[in-house]
Amino acid sequence: MVRRVDVVVIGAGPGGYVSAIRLGQLGKKTVLVEKQKLGGVCLNHGCIPSKALISAGRLARKIKDGGEIGLETTGLKIDFTKTQAWKSRVVNRLISGIKLLCERNGVDVVYGEANVEAGKMVKVKNSGATEELQADSIVVATGSRPIELRSFPFDGKLILDSTSVLDLSEVPGRLLVIGGGITGLEIGGMYQDLGAQLTVVELMDQVLPGFDPEVADVVYKSFLKRGAKIYLKADALGFETSTSGVKARLRSADVEVAEEFDKVLVAVGRKPNTSGLGLENIGVELDQRGFIKVDEQMRTTANGIYAIGDVAGPPFLAHKASREGIVAAEVICDLPSAMDNRAMPSAVFTDPEVATVGLTEEEAKRTLGGCVAERFPFQASGRALTQRESNGFVKMVADAQRKRILGVHIVGPDASDLISEAALAIEMGASAEDLALTVHPHPTLPEALMEAAEAIIGAPIHTLKRE
Amino acid sequence: MVLEFKLPDVGEGVAEGEIRRWFVKIGDQVSENQPLVEVMTDKVTVEIPSPKSGTVLDILAKEGQVVKVGTTIIIIGEKGEHTTLRSQPEPKSIEASSITPPVSAPARAASVLATPATRRLARELGIDIAQVRGTGDDGRVTEEDVRRHSSATTAATTPTASPVKGVEERVPLRGVRRRMAESMAMSLRTTAQFTLIDEVDVSKLVATRETLKPLAEKNGVKITYLPFVIKAVVKALKEYPYLNASLDDAKQEIVLKKDYNIGVAVDTGEGLVVPVIRDADKKSLFDLARNVEDLAQKARSSRLELDDIKGGTFSITSLGALGGLLATPIIHYPEVAILGVHRIDKKPVVRDGQIVVRDIAHISLSFDHRIIDGATAGRFTSRIKEMLEEPNQLIPELV
Ligand SMILES: Cc1cc2nc3c(=O)[nH]c(=O)nc-3n(C[C@H](O)[C@H](O)[C@H](O)COP(=O)(O)OP(=O)(O)OC[C@H]3O[C@@H](n4cnc5c(N)ncnc54)[C@H](O)[C@@H]3O)c2cc1C
Repeated sequence: MVRRVDVVVIGAGPGGYVSAIRLGQLGKKTVLVEKQKLGGVCLNHGCIPSKALISAGRLARKIKDGGEIGLETTGLKIDFTKTQAWKSRVVNRLISGIKLLCERNGVDVVYGEANVEAGKMVKVKNSGATEELQADSIVVATGSRPIELRSFPFDGKLILDSTSVLDLSEVPGRLLVIGGGITGLEIGGMYQDLGAQLTVVELMDQVLPGFDPEVADVVYKSFLKRGAKIYLKADALGFETSTSGVKARLRSADVEVAEEFDKVLVAVGRKPNTSGLGLENIGVELDQRGFIKVDEQMRTTANGIYAIGDVAGPPFLAHKASREGIVAAEVICDLPSAMDNRAMPSAVFTDPEVATVGLTEEEAKRTLGGCVAERFPFQASGRALTQRESNGFVKMVADAQRKRILGVHIVGPDASDLISEAALAIEMGASAEDLALTVHPHPTLPEALMEAAEAIIGAPIHTLKRE
Repeated sequence: MVLEFKLPDVGEGVAEGEIRRWFVKIGDQVSENQPLVEVMTDKVTVEIPSPKSGTVLDILAKEGQVVKVGTTIIIIGEKGEHTTLRSQPEPKSIEASSITPPVSAPARAASVLATPATRRLARELGIDIAQVRGTGDDGRVTEEDVRRHSSATTAATTPTASPVKGVEERVPLRGVRRRMAESMAMSLRTTAQFTLIDEVDVSKLVATRETLKPLAEKNGVKITYLPFVIKAVVKALKEYPYLNASLDDAKQEIVLKKDYNIGVAVDTGEGLVVPVIRDADKKSLFDLARNVEDLAQKARSSRLELDDIKGGTFSITSLGALGGLLATPIIHYPEVAILGVHRIDKKPVVRDGQIVVRDIAHISLSFDHRIIDGATAGRFTSRIKEMLEEPNQLIPELV
């Protein structure tokens, strides 16, 4: 029996489930197909579980570091199984929330693996049974998965990907992270906080490649200060299993070393989940890197087929996936929607945190031929000092003539929360003056944004003017 | 001296014009009277010459934009002179902002200085926000700018260009087609139209035209059926003055025209225009033929001038060979009637109890029932039929 529906959404990550809910709200008969769990990578193996564990790690370190302000503790015991159980409760609570939202918005969730055939026919296989769905439109939201290194194939025990590393039942003693990007540093940092000895190998000459080098440098130094070993311009060549774990061969600046680790996390990037979907049979074109080609309205090259989220290309961010999901839903309903955002914020939950939106200073110089950039250090922030988190700064980039805000890069306490004000400023086309003239309550961290803006217009109060 | 050149009044009553094509660009040297821009107003296209020599300092109206008479469209001065007006928001301050590196190029709307809500409004109204002139600080496009732009243009542009193939193609409603859309809708909105159809035996007319052909050629004209139809219409109009009229709604008066200016619908390929044969009652058959040919030529090459299309009192649309047995023509408002002439076919008809083959054509007449009642319409139609069936009365003054 073929079931006729308006829209089939494939994949229930933050792209797919948000799109399905919006479609439901707009009155479309929508089926959401998921082969694993509602919430996708974000809820089950990404944003949420990693942030839960990161919070636990941070708290543990804060407790241990309390001595300086007179809060001595001895014998902090970490029961990681309990930590994991708490993490799962958080995840499950959010999943049941999504389930309820789907129900209430008339979205029908079907579990199984989807395959698309010509004529917008979607076949969903679930343990032998197949359900056939005939749709007017299809939204592909199948996400992405970790890239595997041939020299370090995942085994789920010693060589881990970002999924299995979040499900360990105990904190590894010695952890090697291959890839000093967002995922590697977030998870590596978390285990470091919980007691692991951390080693990071990064191919490029800075951690967090692609981020403002000054910002990355602050993160790099804090990792070192807490005892991590970070090899830059380095590579992991291979490994042998040993009695206690693995012996990995690392090469840095033409020197080869072999070091022992209990676990290895390979976090060198992600690739799109496009294979096995049948996209090649229905005229959906991929770009050179294998992502589905889409336009500003999330249309693929095949009529009536849309793609959103990780599978439609980087940046791999849950909020980007969700926004695209809403756009696709609205376009399907003939509403005038498009991805026309001026900026896409992103956050890294290391300690200190990093958050950025808009152009970096270097990009602004390259694309616009010039800009002004000013920094406000958290050292000068009353609130940061009272939180004992004064490492880092806010860097603001504005155009040279009118001082419109082009980018904001924050490394420091609660950067992930601070960035939204900057994103709003950029979306609104605000100038540094607009931000400087907006009163910010004292003492708070967002004052740092105001101060950076004041520096741009040449009137900083709490820093000295550069000569 | 900097001259802020404003769109001049290119003909009586013209309030706005669409910028069709700029012949100059910023930085060009222009001499006095050199054509600057092609502007399309109420169905005519005019070239506007430069009022002085100098350098083009700025161009303030984009091609395709509809501007009101009196709006500055170009600034001419000497090199290095400054202008107070600015055409574009500084694109630098906003362009390319900004998504972290690997993201595809930012959307076009994202490079315009406007808030997200304003950008969405533009999409809702089907406007490309990049085409909207911002009046705000730094060229910011405000919500008001978008609304103003929307009401100034009935034209709808693609809201967002899709690099990937979509399901439809969107063609901006511009030029002749836009005028056609406006005037046809206006006509149907305003008048109470009804159509009368009749069959005409044009066998004699066909023969007459054949006989006149050589003579016409000698006089350098190609004679079609249209001049005969015009002749018939003018004669009938003289007998039925309410058909050569318009209704002055405001004053509640019927205006009876004493001129017989007959509009002739011409298909330009881009839409319909209706150039006017002026004083048709005073013209000979061959003059009419010449006049029709001239105007059709001008229409097809977009060279019609405002005078060519103004002041019509009655219109004829000759669908002839283009097909269709019948049509219900739409009145060329504010006129009160229009005649449609259809193709001539050989048909069997009954004459004196015998079936004979004759040349038969259909005519369709639409009337504005606010002024013309059915009986008058019937009589007028019969009168035209009669004259087309007995064409001899149409040709007294041939040349
Ligand atoms: C460790 C980690 C931490 C992260 N932290 C953050 C963060 O802090 N902030 C942030 O913004 N982003 C974060 N991300 C990235 C974020 O998780 C992704 O960008 C986001 O999940 C992408 O959403 P999506 O809807 O495109 O796809 P996904 O979340 O990948 O969901 C795709 C879904 O489709 C299903 N699927 C695939 N193929 C089929 C098929 N054939 N049939 C049926 N179902 C199918 C999958 O099972 C999956 O559930 C993190 C990622 C990782 C790995």
